[in-house]
Amino acid sequence: MNAYPLAAISYLLFALATAGFLTCGNLVRMLMFLELMLNAGNIALVALGPPPASQAYALMLFAVAAAEAGVGLALIIAMASAFRTLEAENIKELKG
Amino acid sequence: MILNAAIYILGALAALATLLMFFQRKPVKAAMLMLAVLLCTAGIYLALSAQLLAAFQVILYAGAIMSLFVVALTVTPQAWRDRPAPGRREMVPGFAAAAIILAELLKVSAGLKLMSAGSGFTETGTLGIARELFGRFLFQFELLGLVILAAIVGAAALALKRRPVP
Repeated sequence: MNAYPLAAISYLLFALATAGFLTCGNLVRMLMFLELMLNAGNIALVALGPPPASQAYALMLFAVAAAEAGVGLALIIAMASAFRTLEAENIKELKG
Repeated sequence: MILNAAIYILGALAALATLLMFFQRKPVKAAMLMLAVLLCTAGIYLALSAQLLAAFQVILYAGAIMSLFVVALTVTPQAWRDRPAPGRREMVPGFAAAAIILAELLKVSAGLKLMSAGSGFTETGTLGIARELFGRFLFQFELLGLVILAAIVGAAALALKRRPVP
């Protein structure tokens, strides 16, 4: 199989997730789209990289994604209790 | 041939589910669409002969991370409030930026048209991946343990309620 269509699939998923990240204002949804962006990057890595090394790196990226989701959701819950909103446009303070 | 068709179909399904997530106003349904994307990705990994990654994708992404999202949605009632769907004007800049990113990525990787992604993907066993992880990438793998430890400590510190000092 040609590598280009595989790359195109991952790029398309990445671009769609980017569009979602930029358009929706809800913090939980933004984190969801961020995870999908990482997922698309993983697909490109597995599809285009040399097999054992790329898959080992993809496994490590799974762990990074899990850590990112854990910290991100903890941050979102803390912000939700502090600001009483999950809309990014309503959160205008970085301190307080 | 069948595997190639499976990759295209699963990729198209994943793209469709991502697109539907934009217009889904209910957060849990959006989370279920994300689950569909992650499962399609696991299918793509299977078609690429990366069975271990497909298993981890289902266990870690579709299992652990998705349940984290569902828990976060249940403990944040603010996420359930109805918000008017973004208007067309609000969506245009985001889609335009994504289209530019997609066009640039496709343009940059035009050289891949001449490259084959492995004639029939060779099956990579667990042993091969383990040899890489505990051989060449041992330092990175150990460093990853520190990253996860820092993430656990950070998440616990953020989740702990601050009690007023008496």
